[in-house]
Amino acid sequence: MKIQAFLQKVLLLELWQGMWVTLKNQFRPHITVEYPKETVEFPPRFRGVPRLRKDPQTGEELCVSCLLCEAICPTECISIVSEKRPDGKGKQLISFTINYERCCFCGLCVDPCPTKPITAIYMSHDYEFAGFDRDSYVTAREELVDGKPVKIYTS
Amino acid sequence: MFRTEMMDINMGPQHPSTHGVLRLKLLLDGETVTDTDVLIGYLHRGVEKLCESKNYHMIEPYTDRLDYVAAMYENLGYVETVEKLMGITVPERAEYIRVITAELQRIASHLVWLGTHALDIGAMTVFFYCFREREILLDLFEAFCGARLTYNAYRIGGLPWDVPPGWTDRVRHFVKIFPGRQQEYDTLLTKNRIWLGRTKGVGILKAGDAIDFGVSGPCLRAAGVSYDVRKAHPYSVYDRFLFDIPTGENCDTYDRYLVRMEEMRQSLRIVQQALDGLPAGEVMGKVPKRIKPPVGEVYHTVEGPRGELGFYIVSQGEDKPYRMRFRSPSFVNLQALPHMVKGSLVADVVAVIGTLDIVLGDVDR
Repeated sequence: MKIQAFLQKVLLLELWQGMWVTLKNQFRPHITVEYPKETVEFPPRFRGVPRLRKDPQTGEELCVSCLLCEAICPTECISIVSEKRPDGKGKQLISFTINYERCCFCGLCVDPCPTKPITAIYMSHDYEFAGFDRDSYVTAREELVDGKPVKIYTS
Repeated sequence: MFRTEMMDINMGPQHPSTHGVLRLKLLLDGETVTDTDVLIGYLHRGVEKLCESKNYHMIEPYTDRLDYVAAMYENLGYVETVEKLMGITVPERAEYIRVITAELQRIASHLVWLGTHALDIGAMTVFFYCFREREILLDLFEAFCGARLTYNAYRIGGLPWDVPPGWTDRVRHFVKIFPGRQQEYDTLLTKNRIWLGRTKGVGILKAGDAIDFGVSGPCLRAAGVSYDVRKAHPYSVYDRFLFDIPTGENCDTYDRYLVRMEEMRQSLRIVQQALDGLPAGEVMGKVPKRIKPPVGEVYHTVEGPRGELGFYIVSQGEDKPYRMRFRSPSFVNLQALPHMVKGSLVADVVAVIGTLDIVLGDVDR
């Protein structure tokens, strides 16, 4: 037993075992990707910036200006202005603004949205929204529906 | 001509080994630490006060940002506290999924601890391997709730979504491959003479002192006290699973390392059992649209990766809490730091900060 302990100490056995682990790991496949040249695929539930959408079939505005998303937002980043429809049924949007500077991507605004099964507000898969000034984060309705133009990076 | 004097040294707040913005004022006698001042508050956001102006739904994203390395536990503790206050019963399936995600989060959190702790002491390879395995877990969380760090994954009364199709198989795959990977960390560290030299007998915290300081979690268990909230006051469905509480004997950094390594294995056991017993059914219980708890106060704890994580809510019957208080384990455990580093070398301070496994978001709130 003593000789074994002595040999272990002299021959640096535990260090060689560690080296063997690192050597084995050299041959494992890479798990990193070369962003921005390549990007990872997102699961369907991925929470990017919240955006608005229209009915995919009819192209009509889905938002009914119920103000529920504005009420539940923990950072108060959504502001909605609406007016009564001229025909007297319900309300229509005048403006719908999300301040992406404040948004914390919690996804709470999607939960109470009453337009089922397709919610008017949804968490998109957009995540590249770096800007040069603060005003560019205050996003108006048109941009919320259409999205920002995505910059394509080339090598 | 020559004279010796005590020297004040500032460590942090911008120091890679303080795991955030922690500032230590060390009084040194040569290389030996004689006194330590722990200065915190650089990350104070006033979340407790902020919660008084938010309704109960809105608070959950804020709890994500307390202990951002183990946000699942902050979510779990918070929603369970509100459920306890209101007497809401959660569907079984939701409870099981909560246990699975929370235990996976414990492994993810311990992987961050192991990687950074080893990196601080000088073993760089482990860091990369730990983060590689953590990546699998974060992908699982991302598929489940859509975020990788600040999950907001639970709701009061259950879960917002059921697990996506194929998710449980991916968890099973992780449960299968992880023991082999953990064996690799074991080979790299457990018998390594540098690791032993840097951790054995360093930062001793005896059981009596640990209890006096209010230390909880792995730091308390490494001192030989077998206290775990999951066993002592079972919450959720933890009373249905078989698992052991690992304890240490020597109260030092090496024992805390062994305890946390064993905790990861026990977490895997719990995940395996929860996957096998996962019932079918709903994931959202019956919850009123406006959360208005009755007048009263409640305190509820969960066993986080860092220790006992408590939530205290005083309700006055409104849709906002009157007072919200977090018992964050990192803050309490940090109190023991001056006691643990007294008389040791400056290099050991780094090891002790690593072994306490503090998260500054949790310390400052």
